[in-house]
Amino acid sequence: MNAVAVVGLDCVFPAAHGIEAFWDLLMRGGDAIGPLPADRGGPGFDDTVRGGFVDSATTFDNDFFTISPREAAAMDPQQRLLLQCAWRALEDSGRAPSALAGSDTGVFVGVMGSEWGQLHMSDYGRVTPQLGAGSSAGMTANRISYHLDLKGPSLAVDTACSSSLVAVHLAVNSLLAGECSTALAAGANLVLTPALGMVYQQMGLKAPDDRCKPFSVDSDGIGRSDGVGVVVLRPLEDALAAGQRIYAVIRGTAVNQDGRSNGVTAPSRWSQQAVVAAAYRRAGVDADQVRFIEAHGTGTALGDIIECAALGEVHAVPRDEPCAIGSVKGNIGHTEAAAGIAGLIKTALALHHRIVPASRFAARENPQLRLAERGLALLKAPLRLPAGEVVAGVSSFGMGGTNAHAVLASAPRLRAVAARGPATAGVFTLSADTPEALRRNLAAQAESLARRPRGDAASVCWTSNQVKTGLPYRAAFTARDTAELADALRTAAGDERTCARVTDRALRPPAIAFLYPGQGCQEPGMTAALYQESATYRRHLDEADDALRDHTGASVRDLVLAGDPAIHHARWAQPALFAVAHALTQTLAELGVVPDAALGHGTGELAAAVAAGVLTLPDAARLVAAHAAAADDLPDGGMLTVSVAREEITDLLADHPGLSLAAVDGPRDLVLAGTADVLERAAEALADRGLSTRRLGGPHAGHGPAADAVAARIADLAGPVTAAPARIALASARHGRMFGDEIPDTAYWADLAVRPVRFADALSALVTEIAPTCLIELGPAPHLLRLARRADLSAGIRLLHPAPGRATVTDLAEAVGGLYLSGVEPCWDALYEPSHRRTERLAPYVFSDARRFRQTVPAQPPPRPAAQAAPAAPATPAAPAAPEATPRQADPAPATHPHHSDGPGTAADARPDAALSAVIEAVVEVGAYPREQVDAEARIYEDLGFDSVMIMQLRNRLEQQLPQASGITVQQLLPALRSVGTLAAFLRELTSAEVTV
Amino acid sequence: MTARTALMHIAGTASALPAEPVDNAALSDIFGISEGWIDLFVGTRTRHFGWDPATGKVTHTLADLCAEAAGRALAAAGLAAADLDFLVLSTATPDTLLPTTANETADRLGLNHLPTYQIQAGCSGAVQALDVARALLASGHHAGLVVAGDVTARFLQAGQDASALATQELINYVLFGDGAAAAVVTAEPHGDAVAVRGLLHRFAGRGRPPGQIVGWRGVTEPEPDRQMLFEDYKTIEEEVPALAGEIVWELLSTADWTPQQVDFILPPQLSGLMTERIVAGLGLPPGCREVSCVRDTGNTGNALPLLQLDRALDSMAPGERALSVVVESSKWIKAGLALERLAGPEEGGRGR
Repeated sequence: MNAVAVVGLDCVFPAAHGIEAFWDLLMRGGDAIGPLPADRGGPGFDDTVRGGFVDSATTFDNDFFTISPREAAAMDPQQRLLLQCAWRALEDSGRAPSALAGSDTGVFVGVMGSEWGQLHMSDYGRVTPQLGAGSSAGMTANRISYHLDLKGPSLAVDTACSSSLVAVHLAVNSLLAGECSTALAAGANLVLTPALGMVYQQMGLKAPDDRCKPFSVDSDGIGRSDGVGVVVLRPLEDALAAGQRIYAVIRGTAVNQDGRSNGVTAPSRWSQQAVVAAAYRRAGVDADQVRFIEAHGTGTALGDIIECAALGEVHAVPRDEPCAIGSVKGNIGHTEAAAGIAGLIKTALALHHRIVPASRFAARENPQLRLAERGLALLKAPLRLPAGEVVAGVSSFGMGGTNAHAVLASAPRLRAVAARGPATAGVFTLSADTPEALRRNLAAQAESLARRPRGDAASVCWTSNQVKTGLPYRAAFTARDTAELADALRTAAGDERTCARVTDRALRPPAIAFLYPGQGCQEPGMTAALYQESATYRRHLDEADDALRDHTGASVRDLVLAGDPAIHHARWAQPALFAVAHALTQTLAELGVVPDAALGHGTGELAAAVAAGVLTLPDAARLVAAHAAAADDLPDGGMLTVSVAREEITDLLADHPGLSLAAVDGPRDLVLAGTADVLERAAEALADRGLSTRRLGGPHAGHGPAADAVAARIADLAGPVTAAPARIALASARHGRMFGDEIPDTAYWADLAVRPVRFADALSALVTEIAPTCLIELGPAPHLLRLARRADLSAGIRLLHPAPGRATVTDLAEAVGGLYLSGVEPCWDALYEPSHRRTERLAPYVFSDARRFRQTVPAQPPPRPAAQAAPAAPATPAAPAAPEATPRQADPAPATHPHHSDGPGTAADARPDAALSAVIEAVVEVGAYPREQVDAEARIYEDLGFDSVMIMQLRNRLEQQLPQASGITVQQLLPALRSVGTLAAFLRELTSAEVTV
Repeated sequence: MTARTALMHIAGTASALPAEPVDNAALSDIFGISEGWIDLFVGTRTRHFGWDPATGKVTHTLADLCAEAAGRALAAAGLAAADLDFLVLSTATPDTLLPTTANETADRLGLNHLPTYQIQAGCSGAVQALDVARALLASGHHAGLVVAGDVTARFLQAGQDASALATQELINYVLFGDGAAAAVVTAEPHGDAVAVRGLLHRFAGRGRPPGQIVGWRGVTEPEPDRQMLFEDYKTIEEEVPALAGEIVWELLSTADWTPQQVDFILPPQLSGLMTERIVAGLGLPPGCREVSCVRDTGNTGNALPLLQLDRALDSMAPGERALSVVVESSKWIKAGLALERLAGPEEGGRGR
């Protein structure tokens, strides 16, 4: 199957920013031709010029791609728009662009040179390395590969107006040759100078009204237009296997040349006919199968006649219906290097939507074209396509005679797995590079979701997990229903504080500790709803039940799920908690959440030991059952919880024989144990001291020899237990510390029933050792988390409780969402039923348009010594020496810096510091950053996007500004180039040590 | 397996019921209607309203509900909007007379350039819409969407003291509820689709006075004796059981089935109590399971047969058969469906 799937699209065409707007323009037969925008222009190039112009040629989200303002200002806007379109097209393919980093993805871009380069590279006094890279045609492709870290072939192709369809041809061949497994094929064209328009005029090709009127009796030439389009291509088999949404399938492509025709710029009917026939042969289709063709259709009288004659040679065969033809150029004009990709995107969308838009200006068909006798018909009205496979063609011809044709077919209509029954809760994820960007994108998603009919949110959530993750600032929302989700997103987008609650930036790798509660917190019916909803949880609770059943004699699972209060009996409480804890641990593991540390309270240590790999499930099950059996035979007793410090009740313990300290859960959280009558007296004594107590039921093992006998019985019942070294950090609540290298023996596990629990000490040791970012309790209610909350832990530890009670099942999704915010990358698939793992269309990323990079006409070169040629002097209003970066007036400056979360005003900023000031000064100048965006925290590479060229320039600036840096080499600077602050500290050292370098 | 070919196939169904169910206690609080009277004489336990009974503010339009049901039905069928060739919507209570709710719904779903129809009907509307769909599929279309629903916001008045109303009007306050349901229909079977083996749709009201009137108003002064809602519940009680019996026999004859071959009966959904009486009189074998929704949803008008079908699909195993019996008492319309679940490649009906 030599076919390639079109799986992702994005574009910026005149009056059509994005795929939806483009399709809308085409379906309503819209006109995108207008005057030159005010932010472009120059001598001979003013608002009398008309054509198809995009309004976003000057905006660029440089911070998103970590490109300094100076570099962004020196970049051809074709490069800037392509970067953003590439990102959005990859998102549209159902994958997070970051997930392709390091892959063999290829990039093939059609461009006709760079008018930017013509404008900026002719003034030799002002050329800079940034302008050099910024003006190169090859860099249009290479930048995408660089910023997205794509390692397949990366090349720009120029065959004049057929460039982007030739790029598609090369991309398809590269995929079919196995050279890359995903390819971006693109085209870009921005009209920045009047030169080519003048050339068209001299050749007699320019339409007086600057409108292409394809195949119309009124056709009188070309109007030039901007355009950027990107398509994501994959081998059809791979796209189907990955379940990607397929807009259309490319069945075959062909490229040829006119050779020595009537003139180097004259079209050749025979070559056009040959390229179409060749593409059909490659695609294995006959002319009568082709339902419609997106023609080159520039609307020059001769060009149209030649094209139709060529198409007629191929299509005038016996056929049921004529082959419909049209051209997008009637709507958006001739986008030259991007013309082929515009036609391809239109055709893919037509096949996807099963309708071909009418061709603008078709109403007055040019009779000279003799379409009817050539098996052709002009698309005077939209053409509804039948169900089943439809074949279509796209033509694109270059001025120099390089012709391209692609044969597309509708995507195989695979019936999705039917979604039955109520959907499970999902987690909608979104990520962005700054908090402002996050809110901007939350608003965009809310708006787009609100336009959908209300429905299950699961597949939307799953898609967001695949696509909208990978950027530093994260948001997560638990949702079942799209309407509620849209409301939640809108609320978060509109309110900074709400937004803060659902978002985070995981600054360091997550460290997760699992907490396992002990006896006393079992609840009838615990996790019953989760059991019903989650196949994963079902499997693991069944597994725990199987392990326990030989020793407990009956199914603890059935007892738990039935909501039977019998689980409060000593015989069932511990097995029930153990089974639930184990099943939750394993369920989280399948969701990609594995602990870095574990701590159990009392017999909760057994489940913790299984999680840490110390005990096997069968051994732990035997121990749990032994504890339960021993407890069942003990006299009824109980426990008292009291808020008091250990030292304050030393006398009380001495005065009440039989009263023991069962647990120290916190500095003022004690649990006392004893027989019923002892506890009653102790409660009275405590009440006399003004201390209230809470009574918990449970068996009582007693003290001294009695306790030893109980422990011995447990060890005996459990039999030999083998333990392995812990795979993760494991805390011992019995010892009140972390386990070292020791491997606990059977006696240790048996003693859990009779020795005091030193939970507070163990938690404190755990926090010190692994500095957790997240504590997760694996039990029916957040008991241990309450203790943790009171324990005065360091701020910023997220407390999560995934185990639901009887009814609600959103908790598991909530917990996974919380973990995602903490920096965990969950295995999202495990959260969803297979039928909900279906790609839905989500709104593409909305880039910031706050910063505009205006094209400037080169001024006189500034008087600078040759050795200091780079960088140019800082831009001043009097002598603009570099393309200016100007934040748009209407947009307020970002409230938060993208590169750190502490906000401005750290100690380093407050102190006047010559070295720091000089570094900031130099960085601002080299990168042309707004001063407020550069402070000590800013990282040189990650936040400021410095490369070797900029570092050279930075060294030069520092040397000028700081006497102590005179003669310093880049090699000396390199180790200090972590952040602005580290560089400043290094330079201060130079001064204080009076080192001469 | 019967040798008869299917008229069409139902590839997926779904329902949309607005907000939380309103129980009789709440209804009694809102309209001052005796809770005991509802329980005793009507038998409906809950219903949904797409408007706030306290303020009358509309929270869900008919188009909202129809688009939700249709979107869910598409997901249930595993098809995309672009796979559809037509849309047929039936309702007695469109959001506006123009544009039609059918076209508003199509717009919400992203449908474009395809034929759409709106049928003005009552309880039999869904069967009428399926009849139109059948004809469209027979003419060469491959797949379409049938949507049916009704909303009461315009007919029940928030804050009304209903105890002051005549019984024929009062009854409407306790009978009705809002809702929509949808079915994706295809010419060819998809997966474990349901085959439609018989479809009955007949006007049978010549010379009979209306059993149910739903009025509408313009800008002119309302005629003082015109009721926006009227239900001749006495006549309905008398007529519907006999009509239902005729429908069963006619459907069995069309499908060439015996009563013993029917596994499910989807009876007319007048009210909780009436439904029991009707089913008892149909003479179907005792093993035949009833699928009703009216006790939970109230009378949702056009949506009812599809709401029942949506419920039935959850329990029908491959090879099992169902009869849907519908009587529209407005001007006496007999309607019904004979349905058979096919053995698909996927697992059979999964319980919810």
